[in-house]
Amino acid sequence: MTLTEPAIADSEAASGAGGVAAPESSDEVAAAPSILAQPFVTSDAATVGRLFVLTSLLLGVGTSVVGVLLSLGRTEAVAPWDLFGGFNAYFRMWTLYRMSFMLLVVMPLLLGVALAVVPSQVGAGNVAFPRAALASFWSWLIGAVIIVVSVFAGGGWGAIDGVTGNESDAMALTLLGTGMVIVALLLGAVTVATTVISLRQTGMSLLDVPPFSWSMLVAAAVWLFTLPVAVANIVVIYADLRGRPAIAFGRAESPDIWLQLDWLVEQPAVYIMAVPVLGIAVEAVGATVGARSSRPEAITVIVGLFGLLAVGGWSQDYFTAPQDLRDGLVYVAFGLAAVLPLVALAGGAAELVLRGTKTPDRLLDVRMLGAGAALKLLGAAALVGALRVIEPLDLLETTATWAVFHGVVVAGLIAGVVAARNWSHELLIGPLSVVVGRGAVALLLGGGGLLVLSDLISGFLADAPDLMALSLDGSAVLNVVAFAGSILVAVGAAAAALGAVSALRAPLVAEGDAT
Amino acid sequence: MRTTALPAAEATRPRTVVVGALLATGAVFMAFAALVAVYVQQRQMSRATGQEWFPEGSVELGPAGMMMMTLVLSMVTVQWAVQAARDEDRPHGFIALGVTLMFGAAVINQFWFVYQDTAFAIDGGRAELLFYVVTGSFIAMLISGMAMLAVTTIRSLMGPFGRDLAHGVQAAGAYWHMCVLCYFLVWYVIFITK
Repeated sequence: MTLTEPAIADSEAASGAGGVAAPESSDEVAAAPSILAQPFVTSDAATVGRLFVLTSLLLGVGTSVVGVLLSLGRTEAVAPWDLFGGFNAYFRMWTLYRMSFMLLVVMPLLLGVALAVVPSQVGAGNVAFPRAALASFWSWLIGAVIIVVSVFAGGGWGAIDGVTGNESDAMALTLLGTGMVIVALLLGAVTVATTVISLRQTGMSLLDVPPFSWSMLVAAAVWLFTLPVAVANIVVIYADLRGRPAIAFGRAESPDIWLQLDWLVEQPAVYIMAVPVLGIAVEAVGATVGARSSRPEAITVIVGLFGLLAVGGWSQDYFTAPQDLRDGLVYVAFGLAAVLPLVALAGGAAELVLRGTKTPDRLLDVRMLGAGAALKLLGAAALVGALRVIEPLDLLETTATWAVFHGVVVAGLIAGVVAARNWSHELLIGPLSVVVGRGAVALLLGGGGLLVLSDLISGFLADAPDLMALSLDGSAVLNVVAFAGSILVAVGAAAAALGAVSALRAPLVAEGDAT
Repeated sequence: MRTTALPAAEATRPRTVVVGALLATGAVFMAFAALVAVYVQQRQMSRATGQEWFPEGSVELGPAGMMMMTLVLSMVTVQWAVQAARDEDRPHGFIALGVTLMFGAAVINQFWFVYQDTAFAIDGGRAELLFYVVTGSFIAMLISGMAMLAVTTIRSLMGPFGRDLAHGVQAAGAYWHMCVLCYFLVWYVIFITK
């Protein structure tokens, strides 16, 4: 199956359990739900995917604005705790920024793209469990609202300056929301993975599956291995937090709750967000220059290897001495090895460019620029990750941790822009404007690059472990650079969200424009 | 007859419901395994500092062994239910389902006895808290397994038979087997090695 072929309906998709048959009579067509009712009753995965994409992009704008405020707090213009109204409030926003970028922005964004694109790529009429996909979206959204509301009500993932009043109850609510969001993402991942495994066209082996669908299968498998571990953490924390008094795991007055969950946003688990980015980048480059890889099986292996190196449930340092885990051979090997698949994939993408049509308009296409930018940021993140695990460099408990994080999440955002441009048909939106697309990619690349660079250099300059970058001396200029980077990311995210929303009203992309 | 001209046999695809259920079952197992890992790590840390985990004699092996035996028997009866759904055999299907649900209820009853017997307080310490978290999570999994099995088997056997409905019972059966595997972890980690 070529990338440009139309979706081939698979009868099994419609007749399988949970599948929804296409309307057969005019009566059924006439009974279609109204546009307002559609988000609540639709069994069309493309619609669910679009809901995920749009909502996560909007949440991305909010999250990046929180990032701007946090970066402003890192400059010497104002003390961070004064900006937010206290140590605990600063800590709440600091943790919300990280959790939100991962669970409320990048992962749902890529899951939404997958729900819309994967069925047509594998020749299925719909995803395996369309109603589960819809349930996944709504439970994710409700969980996201619970998280945001509870954090602003004094909850969050622990505190650093004691708790007052009902903050402990609000924290329980935050944990509930986090668990809901994770379970919802897992439900969506099961839906996508089952579609690829069970509903792909007859005769299409797993090695023949297009790179994005394969990367989503790998990502779903990695999510299923990693995210349930976080759910287990949450169960233990919640049980303790609701006890009287908390014994160890759920102490609301300390940052212990965050310390049991922070492995999720640190390497190697942070790379679980990036697996689909590889598939999007390869497909976007291939579609832009009109070439296919001469060694597709190599791409399959590379994506699989990167997924394997992203499995991270084992890397929790809360339950053991951090140095025992992080100086260990496995942790170091995972950190160093993560660079290799990205280098290999960049080679694969370069091969596509060499084999394809290299006209200036193609080379400057949003998809090409975006794929290059996403791979560059991801590569930079993995490179910093490799430096971070080299023990003599002393980068482990420094802001270098967030250089990796920022590289991965901004690469994920750029991949979302590329996907919106590449698969307009499947996402049921009009073509993302070229100007908006190029602008968003440039802003996100610039902002992400500044964040990665400033976080890395700040890490080198740090005299002592300082994950929150609160020791301002010596890195004031870098904190200003990080502030500028945050602004660029926020503007880029806003441009991407506005572009997607405005594309909703535009006519569907012309035949042949999207592939 | 030229056999080379025959159309290729249609490739068989794994059954959708079963594949989806297996993936979800794997995720649930990962969560439970992570809980057990926290339990083991905390116990090891406690013992390394010379502290007692559970008071001597507070956790008895007898009831836990009975639960293990009960659940092993339920693995047989759940497969009996799966086979009955495949064979569209209503009488055997309902008997197998009934016996399996009875085994499940018996295990919950035995856990209630264990809770009364140990008389742990949930806020008594790390050991007690984790004891309730691990066993409570297992009971929740078992109850969800019983519900899945009851719904899918009854749907399969009450209405018109169909391939997908039998697959539903098979999916619920796979989840049940995973529950038994999880109990094996509980039995070994909590009740045997204490």
